Amino acid sequence: MSELPEYVRIVEEIFDKYKDKEFLYVGKRIQRWDAVEKIKGRVLFTADFAKYYRNAVFVYSVRTKYAHAKIKSIDISEAQRYPGVLRVITAKDIPGVNDVGYVIPDQPLLVSDKARYIGDIVALIVAEDPNVAKEAGELIKVDYEKLPVITDPLQVIDLRTLKEKEHPLIHEERGSDVVAHFKIRKGDVRKAFDEADVVVEGEYSTPFQEHAYMEPEAAIALPEADGGVTIIATTQCPFDVRKAVAKVLGVTQNKVRVIVPAVGGGFGGKEDVANELGAKAALAALMTGRPAVVIHSREESMIGHSKRHPMKAWYRHAAKRDGTLLGVEANIVFDTGAYASLGPFVAWRATVHATGPYRVEAARVDTLSVYTNNVYAGAFRGFGCPQVTFAIESQMDALAEELGMDPVDLRLKNILREGDRTVHGQLLTRDHGVGLEEAILKAVETSRWYEKRKLFSKQVGTLRKGIGIALLWHGNSIGVEGADYSSATLIINRDGSITFRVGLIDMGQGSQWGMVLIASEILGVPPSYFRVEQPDTAATPDSGPTVASRSTVMGGAAVVNAAYKLRQRLNKVASTLLGCDPDDVEIKAPDVYCRSNPEKKVSWSDVVEQSFWLGIPLQEFGYFRAPPAEWDEETGQGAPYITYTFGAIIAEVTVDLETGGVKVDRMVTAYDIGKVINRVGAELHAEGGAIQGLGYALMEEVVHNKDAYVMNANLSTYYIPTIHDVPDEIIPIFVEAKYRRGPFGAKGLGEPSINGIAPAIVNAVSHATGLRFHSIPLTPEKIYMALKKAGKTLF
Amino acid sequence: MSVIPREEWDKYPDIEITLNVNGKDYKVKVKPYERLLDVLRYKLGFTGVKEGCGRGECGACVVLMDGKLVPSCLVLAVRANGSKVLTVEGLAPEGKLHAIQKALLDTYAVQCGFCFPGVILAIKALLDRNPNPTDEEIKDALSGQLCRCGSYLRFIKAVKLAAQYIREGKEYFDESGARG
Repeated sequence: MSELPEYVRIVEEIFDKYKDKEFLYVGKRIQRWDAVEKIKGRVLFTADFAKYYRNAVFVYSVRTKYAHAKIKSIDISEAQRYPGVLRVITAKDIPGVNDVGYVIPDQPLLVSDKARYIGDIVALIVAEDPNVAKEAGELIKVDYEKLPVITDPLQVIDLRTLKEKEHPLIHEERGSDVVAHFKIRKGDVRKAFDEADVVVEGEYSTPFQEHAYMEPEAAIALPEADGGVTIIATTQCPFDVRKAVAKVLGVTQNKVRVIVPAVGGGFGGKEDVANELGAKAALAALMTGRPAVVIHSREESMIGHSKRHPMKAWYRHAAKRDGTLLGVEANIVFDTGAYASLGPFVAWRATVHATGPYRVEAARVDTLSVYTNNVYAGAFRGFGCPQVTFAIESQMDALAEELGMDPVDLRLKNILREGDRTVHGQLLTRDHGVGLEEAILKAVETSRWYEKRKLFSKQVGTLRKGIGIALLWHGNSIGVEGADYSSATLIINRDGSITFRVGLIDMGQGSQWGMVLIASEILGVPPSYFRVEQPDTAATPDSGPTVASRSTVMGGAAVVNAAYKLRQRLNKVASTLLGCDPDDVEIKAPDVYCRSNPEKKVSWSDVVEQSFWLGIPLQEFGYFRAPPAEWDEETGQGAPYITYTFGAIIAEVTVDLETGGVKVDRMVTAYDIGKVINRVGAELHAEGGAIQGLGYALMEEVVHNKDAYVMNANLSTYYIPTIHDVPDEIIPIFVEAKYRRGPFGAKGLGEPSINGIAPAIVNAVSHATGLRFHSIPLTPEKIYMALKKAGKTLF
Repeated sequence: MSVIPREEWDKYPDIEITLNVNGKDYKVKVKPYERLLDVLRYKLGFTGVKEGCGRGECGACVVLMDGKLVPSCLVLAVRANGSKVLTVEGLAPEGKLHAIQKALLDTYAVQCGFCFPGVILAIKALLDRNPNPTDEEIKDALSGQLCRCGSYLRFIKAVKLAAQYIREGKEYFDESGARG
């Protein structure tokens, strides 16, 4: 075996050391550091800072009138003359590169020759009064030549043949509107289907989903003396914003500073749009020499930032009479809208997960991501997994029905267990932590599955109950999407207080708190000693983007490294004061003593002070990098992720046969997330993911009309769950199959908490109604029409 | 859409209004079209009042105006002239937490926190008129408060706990004792 890097060995050493230990902070319910300030209304979010700038200017974005059009000319003269307007900015004023594309440089900040979707920006108006800026926007005259609009990805691609159709190109500069194509080729698929006793086939579709974080996007830029700029922004990725803004301004990255205050929800949506906002504010600040404020309205937010990719998929499963899966075939098309955003990565993650957490010996999967003139699609909690999980878990239930098997029994027959290989050929060892079976069994027991499944099958009358299950898995962190590193800084100050810095942001999920708990546990110092400093590219280290459920696993591993090194030094200093062996030193701040002789003790502040006089540094930088992922582009074989989170969701619903309305009564969510670090955060994720997934299952869909205008760009027409829609009970269960290279064995939960919700609910509706459904959101209309068609309505 | 020339707007002079916010009187000059939300946030600095949609759909900006729960994005500042406004900042004295705030902490309901100022005031409006609400009454009272992180089930528990604290005469708690 090759030599492991020191940062991996440290994480493993800590894992082994703490495996059977009682934890003081990790896994306990501890109030997060900012809870009191948030509850008092004192915490500042980005837009709140505008109150401090008395000479600020405001930036309004003038967006295209048509979703797909050539732009022949832009006349700004009248807007420029409007009283109160300081500056009008168009593409030709951009000093650097006019691009904010995330994965592919395909997305201009300001369009000049072509508009590709309804959110494209043709000009920015800068004025002292936001109302003036908006009024002047009406005076921008653009000469458009309308082009045919594409709103359906199947106008670009044939779902069965996967061939690109004749169509007007949206990105003619690329010569094709297929952005990405990922594949899995495994085993003899033809043989599997030839030999199968049973084959089930289905076409599935999922909608555009809007993040609808409560805080709309905002950025404030302050010009700096050296031509640089400081940006306060609501973003998940401060270092990506810095990179994007530097590129637009044509300056080096060290001239751009990005500070992230409290963030009001992100869910993936505040990844790339923040590049656009940061760049808009920075341009205005540098051109006027004044603080520049950009705050998106809710409508702008809804048409102007990425969405969850809609999916159209065709699936075919082959099985033996006893339920053993023989093969899976899938054609999957993702609509990435007008720009790639994170589309290629989303399609890749969907491909990796496209056969579910099952042993599959033969598989052919093709996933294509294509351009349309819809709002661009990018990252959204789950990142391609909720879409394919809906299809797979619907297929599994269809297969169970075909075989006359219980859906749980069919799944238990095929799930991945320790020692199995994934469809990519990745061997799942004890070190990965594979707790899927335990999660299923616990969810089944807690929900009283078998009893209810039988009971609900015998109902009569208008209100019918149903119970459904879905399984999920989720590769941790970013896999082959990029360099997967993180870092953290811990500084023990002279008074014994601790400064905590990590470049991963807290958008509400509380992951920074999880990392503090990790540091607390290793150092032996209570969390109250810590102050979390908000991410600031001028102070916090680059920890990579806050995405892919990687904060606890990757950021936490960096914190383990920093805390481990500090602890070793502290033990040495304490041993000189106490006269016992460094390994014998116990720190339980404010006390430090010898384990062999607890009577002999000094104080935490004594040890810190002594370190200062001895010249022992008490600042430490922790770094961690995930082992490189492996992926063969042609076959999809390799080891795509460091490890996987697993889960089993059981939903109970009541369906009203008269109206098609669904009430979700109860959900049991059992997740194998390895060691639970931040218990409160984990529970909140399980609940929050379930509620967001309920919206995805039953009500949420961004609707474009044939001209690709968004028809429901506000919160009274785009429905998200309210307090009336939530289940009576969401029961989170955690199974701890530990990942040896995660901090104390932790795996991620942020994203997986939405993956299995929609199929569990839809399968429960199927159980209640006796009908199968192939598209979400499963609205009352869809259910009612299906019941009517099947002659099951009462009227 | 035709543009109303700026000169037309400017014909209307600023108007001085009086507001009592969180027990303190303020005199402030406002434009006739200015929203109470913007005056509270940017002229008086009460950024505990949040803007989530600007259309009265999300509940983030609600305040108590003369004891009534109103979305401050749909109230013109001039309309609030002479009224008493309560924002989250004024719910408890310095260094103290109101029972509602304590209950939300005790149920570990905090995630991003953006909806909380509105949620807290909606709970206050409910408990002021109904000290012992049922689950359904709580849901009705909070049905206009959107929370995308999904703390709804904890809100229901917190309202009941807060009601209990208040019934027991415990309206305020020390802020320092609530920290982790």
